This record gives sequence, structure tokens and C-alpha cells, in this order.
Amino acid sequence: MRFLLRRLGFYLAAFFVAITLNFFIPRLMPGDPTTRIFLALRGKLRPDQMDSLRKAYGLEGSLLDQYLAYLWKLAHFDFGVSTVNFPEPTASLLFYAAGWTLFLVGVATALSFVIGVSMGIYAAWHRGGFFDSFFTPINVMMNAFTPAVVALLLWYGFTMEWTVFPLGRAHDINLVPAWDLQSAANIVWHAVLPVASIVLVSFGAWHLGMRNTMINLVNEDFVVLAKAKGLSDRRIRYRYAARNAILPQITSLALSIGYIFGGAFIAEIVFNYPGLGKFTLNAIQTRDYSFIQAQLILLTASVLIANLASDILNVIFDPRLRTGSRH
Amino acid sequence: MSHLTETAPAAATPMPAKATAPPPAGAPSPEELMAELRIKPRPQIFRKVPPSWQTFLSNKAGVAGLLILAVFIVAALLAPVISPYDPYRRAGKPHVQPGVEHFLGTSRQGKDIFSQLLEGGRTSLTVGFVAGLSATLIGVAIGISAGYFSGKTDEILTFFVNVSLVLPALPLIIVFASFVEEASPTVIGLVLAFTGWGWSARTIRTQTLAIKNREFILAAELMGESKWRIVLREILPNMSSFVVGGFVLATIYAILAEAGLEFIGLGSPSSVTWGTMLYWAQRAQALQTGAWWEVWPPAFAIMITGAALVLVNFAVDEITSPQLRAARLGGRIRRFLKRRGRSVDVF
Repeated sequence: MRFLLRRLGFYLAAFFVAITLNFFIPRLMPGDPTTRIFLALRGKLRPDQMDSLRKAYGLEGSLLDQYLAYLWKLAHFDFGVSTVNFPEPTASLLFYAAGWTLFLVGVATALSFVIGVSMGIYAAWHRGGFFDSFFTPINVMMNAFTPAVVALLLWYGFTMEWTVFPLGRAHDINLVPAWDLQSAANIVWHAVLPVASIVLVSFGAWHLGMRNTMINLVNEDFVVLAKAKGLSDRRIRYRYAARNAILPQITSLALSIGYIFGGAFIAEIVFNYPGLGKFTLNAIQTRDYSFIQAQLILLTASVLIANLASDILNVIFDPRLRTGSRH
Repeated sequence: MSHLTETAPAAATPMPAKATAPPPAGAPSPEELMAELRIKPRPQIFRKVPPSWQTFLSNKAGVAGLLILAVFIVAALLAPVISPYDPYRRAGKPHVQPGVEHFLGTSRQGKDIFSQLLEGGRTSLTVGFVAGLSATLIGVAIGISAGYFSGKTDEILTFFVNVSLVLPALPLIIVFASFVEEASPTVIGLVLAFTGWGWSARTIRTQTLAIKNREFILAAELMGESKWRIVLREILPNMSSFVVGGFVLATIYAILAEAGLEFIGLGSPSSVTWGTMLYWAQRAQALQTGAWWEVWPPAFAIMITGAALVLVNFAVDEITSPQLRAARLGGRIRRFLKRRGRSVDVF
């Protein structure tokens, strides 16, 4: 319990660092959004309009006042008004994009975890065999191929050369997403390529992580004892070796679940997918500060919560942590 | 010293006793066994290099990766000499097919792809290696200090390491790159270096903690060596494979992240790197118009560099974790035993 409380304290501190950075970085950079609007309207704004704009964006008063107001708004989930899509509150845009990203990257993360870990178990069990010596390097190399290249290859191959899959978007333009079979089929069909482009460059890491952890376990005494007892190969492989080797992978899985809200920039841009990555890039290009800040806070919060979840999982699975002998 | 020379012959005497048992009929000779296991005696040169290098050199994939990297680096270094055209200027008509005049064709803007590829390699590799090196240096400095000077120093440094690990780096880079106008390759490299040191700091710290209670460190401390000397001369050399492994990973990360950032248009479009080449190819809709030669050269260059670095990393991993090397070499023995119908459970 003390361990978890200490971690919780750390995450709160880290979150504080993050929101403080988030506040100061944009303000230290040259040019504020009001000046940009002023320039965009070619000086058609009166000084009092400028002031009210400043007020709307929370750029009023001393830096300390602004900071306190910013914290106050954050505590009420008020991310302000989008600079670009003016009357639209940032929060509604953010949650729309977050929904699509959660689906896209969530499915991709789950798939690459399952594929990578099963391949890792197989490679570690038959270590040094053909599968291990051939596919382990290949899979890890795919991990080092840029997502951009893989996404472009898939996009070119399956939408241009063979027109199997749609060019992009999350669903057909004239389809209104609903909870029925037709929408589901349409959405899944549109997600195949983007998901594949993410899975292809990420499952190698799971493969390698699982394989290397498990190889270090298969010569441990408890595995040898299990063999000596005459337990079935299957049982030793899954219940003894893989069961213990998967713990670190579950920790990393929790972390990647936290990173889901980072969005898949490249897949979303190549396949024109309406997720957080595409929206964030758009916000960057149009200097929509409130969206960028809101997205960063969403991401930091989800990463920190995922970290906390992985700590809790570790305490549950690893009795050594409960006694507090490690930190 | 003298007792060592005395015991040496004594240790050798039991050997003939074992060998006196006559080999069973039809058993293969050691030479045949070596041939079947495909084991070659180590070349003489191997004995002159340190053991960790021997491990590295015995891994063919790692050597292949290193050679590929060497070719790329030489090509990048010689770029100004071999480039047939100026990579920053128009060299011909837009989208000329690969041929005699333009080895890899021209881009939409009429720039020579081959010259751009060389120049791009120069920038991309420099950014990758420099960012990777700086991230490793920061990581090593922080990791060793945290591990060796425990107490308050450790607590403060570990806090920063954890913050840097927990804060999502890539989005942070993207936001950071967006706030500076025109993120040149140098700016991207700097940002990558300052966000990519967390992992090496953590592994180095753990390693330092494992090493610092060993006898040789205690001996150095008792001899009154200064702390910095102990860190530099006693601890650091014992972690070289971790440092090299961290450097390779940081470099892969930096090269991929730079290409990714530039591909989505956050880099400076006027610079020539593999990432901006992809960016321009995408903008010119090169694939849709059939100009494949504008896309594939930078794409494959990045892929091959990444793959070569991964191969090197595999070989370095085997130095760090001997179990992995045993697994690779054990495969031959397992296959050998299988072919002879023996149980492979012993490995």
C-alpha cells in the first residue's frame, strides 16, 4: 500500500509538471493566438475587441493570474473555445477525435500484442530453430521500418494497384454511423488498412520482448523441475514459462494503452482518418492552441493513469513488490 | 604466481584418462561432428580483440548490419563528390524516369533524386547519430550519477528520469516543433536528444546499482581513488555494452522520429533529408501519378538503415545477455540432436 501511495504521489507531481509545461511552452514561444487573429483580419479589430479576445483565451492579467485561472478551468474540464472552428468548444472536437482514435489504435494495439506475444512464445520455445532465427530478426526489423513507409506501401498496394480497400476516412461519406451491422461492416472495412499499417510496425517489439524474457526463464530451476516431473510440454510452455514471462509485457501493454490517445499520426494522415493525430496536426498547422493543449492534457492524464494501473497490476501479480523490497 | 604453474599440469592429467575409453563403433570423429554442427575453428585474428568484440564478430547478422551502415555512411560522406547534380536546385524536367541522365529520375520539382538521396542521407544520418549520441551521453551521465552517488542526488535525478519516461515524448516533440517556426533538422535533432535519454538513464542506473557493491569498486574506494575516477575508470568500462545498446536504440528512434516528423510536414520543407523527400513525394502525389521513383528511394533508404541498426542491436544484446547468445547457438545443437533422434529437452 505504501508503495502504491508513493507512486500515486509521483504521478500527481508528474501531472503537475506536465500541465505547467503545457501552460508555459506556448506562452514562451513568439506570437499569441490573438495577434494571429488580429493579423488574419488585417487590423479590422478594435482595441476593445482585442481585449475581449484576450480575455476569451485567458491571456489577461499577470502570468500568475493566468496560471491560476488556467488551473481553475482545467479542474472544471473547460478546455476553452477552439481558435479555428470558432464557436465549437474544444472539448467536443477532442472527444469526437478521441473516439475514433480509441477504436483505431486500441484495436491495433490489441492485435499487435496478441500476435507479437504468441510469436514470441513460439520463438522462445523453439529458440535457435528456423522460426526463431528467421522471423525474430525480420519482425524486429519491421519495427524499425518507418510507419510512413509501411502506410504508404499499404495505401498504394491496396487502394491504387488493387482497389480492394477504400482510399481513406473512417466510413463512407453518406453513412451516418449507427449501432447496426451495416455501419459496423463499413467502419471495419475502412479500418483494415490503417490498423494493418500500425500492427505491422509494432508487433515486432512484443515479439522480441516476450522472446527475450522467456528465453531467460526456460532454463530456470522451476522449469527444469516441471520437465522432470513429466508435465506436458504444453503445460510447461504456457503455465510455467509464458505465465511468468508475460508480466513485463503486461506492464508495457498498460503503458501503450495510455499512449493510445497520442493518436497514430502517420496512419491517420495517410488514410485520412478522423482521429486525434490528424486533428492535432491540423491544430498545429492552424495554431489552434486550445486544442493542442487539451490534447496534451488528455494524453498525459491517460498515460499517467495507465502507469498507475500497471503499478497496481504489478503489485497484484508480483508478491515481491508487496513487501516493498524493491523500488 | 608459482603455484599456478604447478597446478596447470595437474589439471591436464585427468584428460587422457577420460579419452582412453574407446569410442563406440561408428561414432563420428570430432571433425565430422564439427562439420555436421557447422562449427568452424575461430580465426586467429579473433584472439587479438577483446572478448565482447569476439562475441559481436561471431554474429554474422551484426557484422552485416555494421557493413551496411558503413556503406551508407561512406556514401553520405562522399555525397558532395559523387552527387551528379545540386540536390537543392532543379536539374531537369519534372518527373523524368530513371535512366542514363538521371540515375533515379527526378522529382516533381525537377530535382535529381539520386543527389537528393545522398544529401538526405547526410542530414538524416547526422541527425540520427548526433541525437542518439547526445541522448546516450545525457542518459549515461544521469544514470551513473544517480546510481553511484545514491541518496538525495539519486532521488532527485530518478524523479526527472521518471518524469521524462512517463511524459509522452513524440507528441511533446510535435508540439515543441510546432511552436518554433520551421523546425530545421538541427532543431529536430536537439529536441529528440532532450526527449530520448530516459531509457538509457534507467538501464544505466540499474546497472550501476548492480556493480557498485562489487569488490573491485570497494577496493578502488579503499585505495582512496576519487569518485570521478571510479565512475570513469571502473564503472563505465563495465557497462560499455549497455551504453552501445542504448546508443543504437536511441539512434534508431531518432532516425525514425525525424523521418516521421518531416513526413507529416512538421520539418523545414526547404531542407533535404529522407523525411522531407517523402513529404514532397506525398505532396506531389507521386504514387498516384505513377512516379514511384520519387517515393521508394528515400523509403527504402530509411528501411534499410533501420534494419541494419536492428541487426547491430541484436548482436550487442547478445553481449549484454549471454542467454540470448546461448539460445542462438543452442539451436544448431538442438537440430543436430533432433536429426539423430535424441531428446532435445536438455537445452
